[in-house]
Amino acid sequence: MSAPDGNRPKTGASIAPPAGSGPGSSATAPDVGRRKTSGAPPAGSATGSGAGDQLQRALDRISRVRGVRGSMWVAADDGIPVAQLLMEGVRGKAIAALAASLARKVSGASAATGAGRVRFVQMEAAGGTLLVAPASDDLLIVALADSRVNIGLARLEMIRAAEAARA
Amino acid sequence: MSLVNFTTREITCKIVYYGPGRSGKTTNLQYVYSQVPAERKGQMISLATQADRTLFFDFLPLDLGSISGFTTKFQLYTVPGQVYYNATRKLVLQGADGVVFVADSQLRQLDENLASLQNLQANVLEHGVDIRTLPMVLQFNKQDLPAELILSPPELDDALNFRGLPTFSADALHGPGVFETLQGIAASVLRRLSEGGGGIRRL
Amino acid sequence: MSTTSVVEAWTEKPLVRYVDQAGARLVVVMTTAGQVLAQHGFVRAVDLMAASALGAAIMASSAALAEQLGERSFGALFHAGRRHGIHLAPCPTPRGALIVLTVFGRETSIGLVELFYEEFAAALRQAAPVDQVREPVLATDFEADLNRSLSSLFRR
Repeated sequence: MSAPDGNRPKTGASIAPPAGSGPGSSATAPDVGRRKTSGAPPAGSATGSGAGDQLQRALDRISRVRGVRGSMWVAADDGIPVAQLLMEGVRGKAIAALAASLARKVSGASAATGAGRVRFVQMEAAGGTLLVAPASDDLLIVALADSRVNIGLARLEMIRAAEAARA
Repeated sequence: MSLVNFTTREITCKIVYYGPGRSGKTTNLQYVYSQVPAERKGQMISLATQADRTLFFDFLPLDLGSISGFTTKFQLYTVPGQVYYNATRKLVLQGADGVVFVADSQLRQLDENLASLQNLQANVLEHGVDIRTLPMVLQFNKQDLPAELILSPPELDDALNFRGLPTFSADALHGPGVFETLQGIAASVLRRLSEGGGGIRRL
Repeated sequence: MSTTSVVEAWTEKPLVRYVDQAGARLVVVMTTAGQVLAQHGFVRAVDLMAASALGAAIMASSAALAEQLGERSFGALFHAGRRHGIHLAPCPTPRGALIVLTVFGRETSIGLVELFYEEFAAALRQAAPVDQVREPVLATDFEADLNRSLSSLFRR
């Protein structure tokens, strides 16, 4: 049974990423938009450790890449956000659902053509770019970026996050 | 199916009030609820439409006190009577230890009574139960209406009572016959339980 | 062949769009009593009758549970099955409180269904007639009313 009104419980306050931090710091810039964190850590995980914190740290690193407006872990089958770090105005639920749908279709096409497992999907639209990296059969890492984004860096962080989640 | 807990010495039985729409099933429970002391009953739950037609069920838990050293509890349920709600009616009927068939005594409702009896038989069969072994009583409700509008108890007995079941005349709105019916089905259920061997035969 | 059919015309456009966007296999729009106003995907009246009666019963049970917990109401309900999922949600409109039951397969997801359900609910609220005064249904007419809806949906 889903929570009232279909909304996931919000657990964090608004945060802004620190300026100039992270790998390739010249490529990161302080994002002025307020970000909201949500997503409860898995049961049994202690503060400062555990799978939930790992997922959240991955989102932190991705969100520090210039141009990234939001990142999230998405349940691949359900198209529902598992954990997210989004700027105000970014529609997490919609992106999660559409990213999962896109990933499923692309995976199907890839399998049909014999191209193998999909590692990364990049969808450019007029208003921004959607980036999707499958972490496992049931988990995706998704980022929404604007035109300033350093795609290479974002992709790197996402693939790293996906590999860490698989490990 | 009756729940018998030998450790706590408790018996819990499920009684279902069945019958066509508007025959007085909910009215039976409402009357029982209004008359039973607070310490002997639980909260009555009614899942009904805005027009006060039973949508899913009414539920009333009763504590009958100690019988043969066992605390005996009865859970009374009603089902929705309309044909439309057969899917949910079937669910409520599942696991019934006894059935009170509430017949509408009005002459114009005879066909509905018969259809509902047939529906009961079909639904019981679907649950894999031999209806001949299911404790059941017939209540001829609305006997308070003008004589020209209703069938008499012998006429109703003739028309509906194929199995020679115990029958009770009633006016559920005002009370006559309601507790007699309940006592009748309770006795029937407990007698079957005491016969042992599972009581109700599953096909 | 799957069809969309409606008892009340204002439901049709939002329903067709919702089915297309969400990729739903079956949809029922009904009153809280289980009376069907619109449907997609059902070919037999008996199946639609069972689905709507059960859907309305589930919502009534959830509402009773909410009351026990001191909640005003619950939102949507989602069940995941092996081959199908169901999404059941209340939808208040000017025409009255409605319920929408959506059955979907693995070609879509609960995320998509939830996403487009919100748009559908908003579209229903927008399209619902506000000027009709609904007559209270007499007890004697209650079942006839339920069956009339079904007959109109499966009129040959």
